[in-house]
Amino acid sequence: MLPATALALGVLAALLAWPVPAALSRARWPGRDPLAALVCWQAIGLAGGLSIIGALLVHGLAPWGHSLPEAWWHWITRQPALEPVRGDHWVAQTLAAVLALELLGVLLLSGVRTARTRTRHRALLELVVRPGSSARVEDETLLLDHPAPVAFCIPGARPLLVLSSGMVAELDGAQLDAVVAHERAHLREHHHLLLLPFVAWRAALPVLPAADRAHDAVRDLVEMRADDVALTSLTGPEPRRTLAAAIVAAAGGSGGLVPEGALAVAGGSVAVRVRRLLAPPEPLPAAVRWTALVCAVALLLVPTVLLLVPAFA
Amino acid sequence: MNTLGELERSVLEHLWAVGTPVTATRLREELADRGLALTTVHTVLTRLEQKGFVGSDESRPRQFQAVGTREEHVADLMHEVLGQAGDRQAALARFVGSVGDDEVRMLRELLAAADDARPAGA
Repeated sequence: MLPATALALGVLAALLAWPVPAALSRARWPGRDPLAALVCWQAIGLAGGLSIIGALLVHGLAPWGHSLPEAWWHWITRQPALEPVRGDHWVAQTLAAVLALELLGVLLLSGVRTARTRTRHRALLELVVRPGSSARVEDETLLLDHPAPVAFCIPGARPLLVLSSGMVAELDGAQLDAVVAHERAHLREHHHLLLLPFVAWRAALPVLPAADRAHDAVRDLVEMRADDVALTSLTGPEPRRTLAAAIVAAAGGSGGLVPEGALAVAGGSVAVRVRRLLAPPEPLPAAVRWTALVCAVALLLVPTVLLLVPAFA
Repeated sequence: MNTLGELERSVLEHLWAVGTPVTATRLREELADRGLALTTVHTVLTRLEQKGFVGSDESRPRQFQAVGTREEHVADLMHEVLGQAGDRQAALARFVGSVGDDEVRMLRELLAAADDARPAGA
């Protein structure tokens, strides 16, 4: 039974490493329901890691038992193998360990490094921003003296929302509210945590084009989701138009400061956001949305079941 | 009232304002309205030094001076915020990413086209 389990996990891993992310990043429906799409991406990432490491483990430990839990226990307790151990079993074990350590290690490292950068940014902002210089901006929002129209937030235990003076000068009141609502949505829904594994795995697996694709898709979806959430809290007459205008104004002001080259990718996604706001797509029908969510859960269950349920009937 | 963060800011503001090296004793006198102990002034200066905002010389007593102007620090931060350096960008969520000139023109046209499509007087 074990070779069949390893094979099934291997096939699943291959599907999740290339065709599935490719199809999802090309699909149109994520723009209609960013939240459901974000759940799918998280499932793809988690199930992908689980199935490739699982496939290697199942193959590597096959001589020690008939199911992974049993073989693992025998291996840990240093019992003799039931079948002869070949070189490829050792290779699979080693690869499983290396891959698991790399994925988790890079995730941890990336998390620590981002946290440190955030701490540095926060300390800097708290020292350089003139207190009480905010006119119409609310308490938790810092106003940074700089002509480029920029807004960003620094997530964490003590989140900070920062607007540049260029942004305040360029936008009207309703547009500023829209920007603040968008950034608050990022903070409230902890979008940085959804993005973190994809940032880390893009760094860990530079050879895998899907890692790049997945990262960009999740980054764009998080922005769309924040736009959607922002719209629900805006009270003006035309919130969609207001937010779209704010995005265009912010994009226009910083354009000159940025070197050409790496821009096509990021720029394309800004246009998608603006189009989506000006001509909103139909929301996804409930049935389709639930299908997507059920698929995401199933994607996680398949490798888990294959790994844990003893492989004999 | 005098939280450490607030003290750091006012000490740094003061160092930026005077522009020349000052001793801790002198600094305490100049910030007399805050009623600080000399050890507090030293603590604040040490913290600012660790963060890279203040430097001191070898003279006795040591003299402290701001490293970089406020504008330079803001410019450094904005450079990171506007830059494309991958890992750094992950640290913050920016409202709109960097966009090229052509793209900006296209975005403005999108917005204008949407306004034209609306019924007049709406």
